[in-house]
Amino acid sequence: MEIGIIQVLLIGVVGFIGGIDQFSFLESLYQPIVLGPIVGAILGNLDMGLKIGASYQLMSIGSMPIGGAQPPNAVLGGIMATVFAITLNRPDFESALGLAIPFGLLGQQAVNIWFTVASPVMTKMDHMSAEANVKGVERWNLIMMFGIGVLFAVIAMIGAYAGAELGTLLSEIVPDQVWAGFNAAGGMMKFVGFAVLMKVMISGEFWTVLIAGFALANVIDAAFGAGSYTLVIMAIVGAALAFYDFQINTKISAVASAAKEDYSDGI
Amino acid sequence: MASNLATTYKDLTPAPQLDKATLNKMVWRSLFLQMSFNYERMQAGGWLYGILPALEKIHTNKEDLALSMQHNLEFFNTHPFLVTFVMGIVLSLEQVKADIPTIRAVRVAAMGPLGGIGDAIFWLTLVPITAGIAANFALDGSIIGPILFLVIFNVVQFVVRYFLMHWSYNLGSSAIGALTKHAKEFTHAATLLGIFVVGALIANMGSTTVAWTIANGESPIVIQSVIDSIFPKLIPLGLTCGLYWLIAKKNWSVVACIVLLLVVGIVGGFVGAFV
Repeated sequence: MEIGIIQVLLIGVVGFIGGIDQFSFLESLYQPIVLGPIVGAILGNLDMGLKIGASYQLMSIGSMPIGGAQPPNAVLGGIMATVFAITLNRPDFESALGLAIPFGLLGQQAVNIWFTVASPVMTKMDHMSAEANVKGVERWNLIMMFGIGVLFAVIAMIGAYAGAELGTLLSEIVPDQVWAGFNAAGGMMKFVGFAVLMKVMISGEFWTVLIAGFALANVIDAAFGAGSYTLVIMAIVGAALAFYDFQINTKISAVASAAKEDYSDGI
Repeated sequence: MASNLATTYKDLTPAPQLDKATLNKMVWRSLFLQMSFNYERMQAGGWLYGILPALEKIHTNKEDLALSMQHNLEFFNTHPFLVTFVMGIVLSLEQVKADIPTIRAVRVAAMGPLGGIGDAIFWLTLVPITAGIAANFALDGSIIGPILFLVIFNVVQFVVRYFLMHWSYNLGSSAIGALTKHAKEFTHAATLLGIFVVGALIANMGSTTVAWTIANGESPIVIQSVIDSIFPKLIPLGLTCGLYWLIAKKNWSVVACIVLLLVVGIVGGFVGAFV
């Protein structure tokens, strides 16, 4: 089955909306169970779109973006699975899921690279904030949101046009080491954010607290698996420490000011 | 960058209570928390975008507005569906013109733990259950499937966003009177909590590992296991402290650090450090 130019453009629109919605807005329009039938309708086979979308959804149910991890991309994976299911039009439509996986991985890399190259925009927003430039900050936020939408629209259109060949071609010409390097660099970016927080928060006495937090979080990660409960437990322990710190210091300053009053009354 | 920011606002007169319309506007804007997401400061841009309507109302003094915008652009990451809770608390502090270190410490302490709670509610419970039910309809070729999924998911998310926004703002406003009396001690305690959580974030979110091995006959030495046997997550801690040193002591800019990490990543990729 041939895909016409209008259909490619409409799939671009779906890619645009899905690319944005996977992080912003409703964060549910992008799910394969929704995108599948929409792409299906565009290609004239709503029934197949519903089925393949639901299959992709069930396949990816265990790979949600938990703890900030980037799973294989559901937007491009879902769109391409639907494209393949309808163009191949086989009774065993779930084989399209396998063909779509390179696009899921490609989408994951696209997200990684976008989040890495988008980092310098924060410096631009810093300058605008220093001038209380509200409109500028809002504008750059919107530009970045539309940017990722356009990126996904372009990939979706190329994907729909070139089909399966592109996915395998790309994974062949770009060596694994480069993907791994980009992944590693993306994973390290957050340390810059932590370092800036430390710069503004930390003073000599708090270094021990930082290391204590680091050490205890390691223990909890090891005990329960790195994931969701660690930071909740850490906040409970940290709140107890902070409460104790608050109690002690208010008492000390109460004693200190009482002593000062005695003195000023003149002995 | 926040290096030479003042620690107090110029105009210390508490601003009037935020009206319901402004709170509701922020509920809407909270949908776009991740609009400018990036790996350096994550949701910081979208966070600022979300609270700007309130900041403009609170800080009528332009210098104060600039100050507030700058410190609200620091690293921010929380669960996207629960962010209105942090918004309410932070804005109740902005409204009484609390010290900036206090606001920062509360913001950092509040954002961290919500991630796990939100994952548990939304990604591990709500989506699997509703998508599972909806998928059964869709596999039978029924359009009810996706519609059911969208309706349930979005009703839940809007109720949560709306409720948390109003509840936490009122909670913050009523609790703050008691806290401002002991502001200095409160800031100290809140900073302690914040730093404790930053330490936890380094261990919990830091995932950088190396793939190098040293040939050693039958049993090659795997560098990562050697590091792990000293202490787990030593690489994230070392990288964070190294970047802290570059930024705080060597006056490196954030962009320079990002470029450095990109170079390290790609060069490391070629010499097989990460595969």
